[in-house]
Amino acid sequence: MMPALTIQRFWANWLVWMLMLLSAGLGALFVVALEHLTDARWSVPLRRTAERVSGLVVPGSVAALVALFSLKVLYPWARPEAVTMPLVMAKAGWLNIPFFIARTLVCVALWLLSWKVLAGGSLKQDESRALVWTLRLRRFSPFFLVVMGLTTLVVAFDWISSLEPEWYSDVIGVYLFSGMFLAGLSAVVLAVSHLIEKGRLPQVRFDHLYNLGAWMFAFTVFWSYIAFAQYLLMWYADLPEEVYWYQQRSHGPWRGLCLVLALAHFVIPFFALVPQDAKGDLKRLKRVAVLVLAAHFLDLYWLVFPVLGDRPLFSWPELSFACFFVGLAVLWVRRSMSQGADMPVGDPFLEEGLAFKL
Amino acid sequence: MTENIFGVVGLFEDPAALLKAVPLVQSKRLGKLEAYTPYPVHGLPGVLGLSRSPLGGMVLVMGALGTLTAFLFQWWMNSVDYPLVVGGKDPSSWQAFVPIMFEVTVLFAAFTAGLGMLLLLNRLPDLWHPFLLSKSCAEVTRDKFALSIEAESGSLDVAAAQAILRQAGALSVEVVAFPAPASKVSLNALLALSAAGALTCALAGAGMYGAVKLFPVLPPMSHMLVQPRLDAQQRGMRPPVAGTVARGRMPYLGALGNPLPRTKAVLELGRKVFSNNCLICHGPLANGTPILTAAYGAKPANLQAKKFLSYTDGEIYHAIMHGKNAMPALGLGFTEDERWAVVHYVRALQRAQHAQDTDLP
Amino acid sequence: MLPELLRPEPLVEGSISAAVLDERVLAFPERRPPRAWFVAFAAAASCMSLGFALIGYTIVTGIGVWGNNRPVAWAFDIINFVFWIGIGHAGTLISAILFLFRARWRNGLARFAEAMTIFAVMTAGLFPLIHLGRPWLAYWLFPYPNQRGLWPNFRSPLMWDVFAVSTYFSVSILFWYLGLLPDLASLRDRTTSRARRILYTILSLGWRGSAGHWRHYEKAYLLLAGLATGLVLSVHSVVSFDFAVSVVPGWHMTIFPPYFVVGAIFSGFAMVVLVLAVVRRVMALEDLITLRHLELGNKVILGCSCLMGYSYLCEAFTAWYSMNPYIHHTFLQYISGTYGWAGWLAIACNTLVPQIFWLRRARRSLPVMAIVGVAALAGMWFERFTIIVISLYHDFLPSSWLVYKPTFVDYGILLGSFGFFFTCVLLFSRVLPVIATSEVKGSLHD
Repeated sequence: MMPALTIQRFWANWLVWMLMLLSAGLGALFVVALEHLTDARWSVPLRRTAERVSGLVVPGSVAALVALFSLKVLYPWARPEAVTMPLVMAKAGWLNIPFFIARTLVCVALWLLSWKVLAGGSLKQDESRALVWTLRLRRFSPFFLVVMGLTTLVVAFDWISSLEPEWYSDVIGVYLFSGMFLAGLSAVVLAVSHLIEKGRLPQVRFDHLYNLGAWMFAFTVFWSYIAFAQYLLMWYADLPEEVYWYQQRSHGPWRGLCLVLALAHFVIPFFALVPQDAKGDLKRLKRVAVLVLAAHFLDLYWLVFPVLGDRPLFSWPELSFACFFVGLAVLWVRRSMSQGADMPVGDPFLEEGLAFKL
Repeated sequence: MTENIFGVVGLFEDPAALLKAVPLVQSKRLGKLEAYTPYPVHGLPGVLGLSRSPLGGMVLVMGALGTLTAFLFQWWMNSVDYPLVVGGKDPSSWQAFVPIMFEVTVLFAAFTAGLGMLLLLNRLPDLWHPFLLSKSCAEVTRDKFALSIEAESGSLDVAAAQAILRQAGALSVEVVAFPAPASKVSLNALLALSAAGALTCALAGAGMYGAVKLFPVLPPMSHMLVQPRLDAQQRGMRPPVAGTVARGRMPYLGALGNPLPRTKAVLELGRKVFSNNCLICHGPLANGTPILTAAYGAKPANLQAKKFLSYTDGEIYHAIMHGKNAMPALGLGFTEDERWAVVHYVRALQRAQHAQDTDLP
Repeated sequence: MLPELLRPEPLVEGSISAAVLDERVLAFPERRPPRAWFVAFAAAASCMSLGFALIGYTIVTGIGVWGNNRPVAWAFDIINFVFWIGIGHAGTLISAILFLFRARWRNGLARFAEAMTIFAVMTAGLFPLIHLGRPWLAYWLFPYPNQRGLWPNFRSPLMWDVFAVSTYFSVSILFWYLGLLPDLASLRDRTTSRARRILYTILSLGWRGSAGHWRHYEKAYLLLAGLATGLVLSVHSVVSFDFAVSVVPGWHMTIFPPYFVVGAIFSGFAMVVLVLAVVRRVMALEDLITLRHLELGNKVILGCSCLMGYSYLCEAFTAWYSMNPYIHHTFLQYISGTYGWAGWLAIACNTLVPQIFWLRRARRSLPVMAIVGVAALAGMWFERFTIIVISLYHDFLPSSWLVYKPTFVDYGILLGSFGFFFTCVLLFSRVLPVIATSEVKGSLHD
């Protein structure tokens, strides 16, 4: 194998796993913000777990900063001397290294700030029991939604779409966001089930889990809707600058991956979560969460890896990356689980949340 | 008169009182227990021992049936029975069928949920149910909660039922009887009804006949042939001035022959284009026997007729290009080569029907 | 104890019993409506008559009486269609999605919003029909075996529309009817007139509220809510496909499906808030449809407005990023050129004006609500104008450029569509209970 390809492969793997970490972290943070925003009760007992999972934003951000070294390797526009297409050259106003780094820095700063406010504020409330924190977090959460919307848009355009700078799709930001939220929910489900099995969330019942399941179900459908709509529009219009992207992702060996993705990201989770009882069944939720996380990995893999060549690479480098990052994430979340209370004990609504009935 | 008793109904102030009363009344096993409430009461089905609604499974099955129906319909109509090429897509492509598959799935599932619940599971409409005729019914649809002990296999201990409901804290207790059986429908009424029906049908038929006879075609039915902006609508991409000849193009009429060689490939191309476009009217042998019924009264030309045997290649080409009589101008839909290939193929068909001895090998 | 700011406000102001609720809400259909109702009805019905007269004129004469022409072959008719379908979306959102979220505040609004959905879809349905030019041949849209041996083209997004809109309409009616059933039973039992009693008995199918029935009913309602949620997403997505599967610059954008859905919910909520702000006053329902209801509606408007801003941002950025000169040209036409004002109006009304709802005081002020609601409706109408007319009037070749001018018939039918909608709304408020009393009774109790 050519060494150049090996370097590319390294960074492609890095990119996918950086996005995985960010997905779990930002997705979980989004779960937290939704609670504040909608004044929900069911999620109060689960919120601390979501806040802990959202800590993955920190290693995710570090990974993103490290990934800046991959620009010259993975991104054709970052080697202006090698760019021949006028179409790509014309985009230099957006696709240039200093601006890209600046955008990434802004995103990372916003993520860390949001995490600090949402997760840190809740911890502070544990100590002080001051109600003012509830108000502050409620006021902050709409801003986090804006941050989430804009930064996922930037990440989608910068880190994913610009791998092939001539391709473009407006909806790629929404596509990435829906996958990230789903991954975040799944990570929260796994963390919650771990704590329940350890007996650390004794009062969490079917009724609480049901809502997590319902959100997962809803976003499974939403992700599929966005993914299919994007595909249908490009397939139908058949414009050369768009459709080649799907061409290389749906032909040859990639065709099988598309099918697996459709099954694992939509069909199986959909039917697994369709019965009313399934949405609050911890065992089933856990299995679906593992499947959805794997599917989200496949989704990112399917977005990134076709730029390396026309056949999927999956071998020991991918496996070792998977082991390393999954291990890192598990250790990171477990470390945060050893500190502080398992539920937001300072939240004035905790009691109501525990008593929540469907 | 116990046969005529439907049941004994006790009214309660709120859901809590109702839920509390159920176990006590249940313990006596006087009859079938049923509750009537102004809105669904949480936990009531469980207390009454009702099984869960099977509606979810029904909806899932019917939804899946909807998906399948929609797919098969579209696939058969647009891929098999009348293969349609749209936007250069394969006639068998499935992607564009998905939106309608989704809609039909929802349609089937939603109506299974709604009508299945009303008609199948709840056995509605039921306009003569004894409870509807009770005084308690109006209380229930306003704000009270009723618990009723209903006669099973025709017998009920009314006094015991009244006592236990009172004991359970009912505000009032009412004995509900079955309504008196409706009087038999008389033969005269039936006859009158049939007569009225027949008369209505006759009148409607006569009216319809008269309407169609008197007003066969109304002004709106001019199919937009006459309207104020017909000319204005011809704006847009302007057609070239009449008689324009493009640079580098030669007129084909007159003595000019077919520029294509008469090779197997060309004839094959001609056959394909002919089969897809000409055959439907002119028939497979080009003898004017159409595949379509002559629904529009048009009579496609018999290209085997003497008149057409003597046509020059250029004249056939011209007919393809600009149409002839009722035949529309089809030429712009094909490349120049395809048009000339069709001319070759028509020639071959003509020769096949008018073969001479020299054609024999 | 929770501080004032954190405690949710009650959904019903003061204390009200179920019996009083019935007296207040269910008595409307039996009483003579106030003078204001007659005035409003006369105005709406006149507009409606004007609209139908002009539709008749169009059908008899041909659609040449409209301003449509090449290259702007889709104009007011399609704009109005998309606009009205959008208005309908709020009703389904309130009745289905908020139901699934268990947002109890929907109970007071659901009935009215669902009715508005049905009327809006009816209004919208008029437009594709008259747009056909030969509406008496509309049955050609359905697949039936025919002498010509033809089938409809199921790969056409216009065909998808037929299925999406008719499914949406029939499922909305079903959903609405299911919700009405217990209220019809209440009406049946409280009316004193024999004719009404017979009518309501038939309409209520003899609903008696037994526990066994409620068990299936609740399940059916839940299932329908789930199905309607998917349906409402799909309907405006399919409408957006009418544009987005093409290769017209400004139409072919992958964000169109979710963006159309958000826009639809935005305009629909604007309409719901506007109408309810008036209705609660005229019908004296201020304690049942409280300021809190309207405030929550305004929050939805604010959220949708932000998402609209997000979509505009995506579109504008991608338009630039595509480096396609035709797309660049079309997007410049959105904000400059003959119709640039319409583009700016849409941007301002949809993304800037509703931002005032970040302030709690603005969310709870009726005049501000009225201004934002009207702005949102105008903004969304002009957004569709922008998308349809501006993307078309400069075709790829300058030889195919033409400025579109609507005629008085176009304006008249637009006015008529509002007349039709409000006539239906007014009739509804006259004959059926405007609040789902059964559901409100349920939430009164806990």
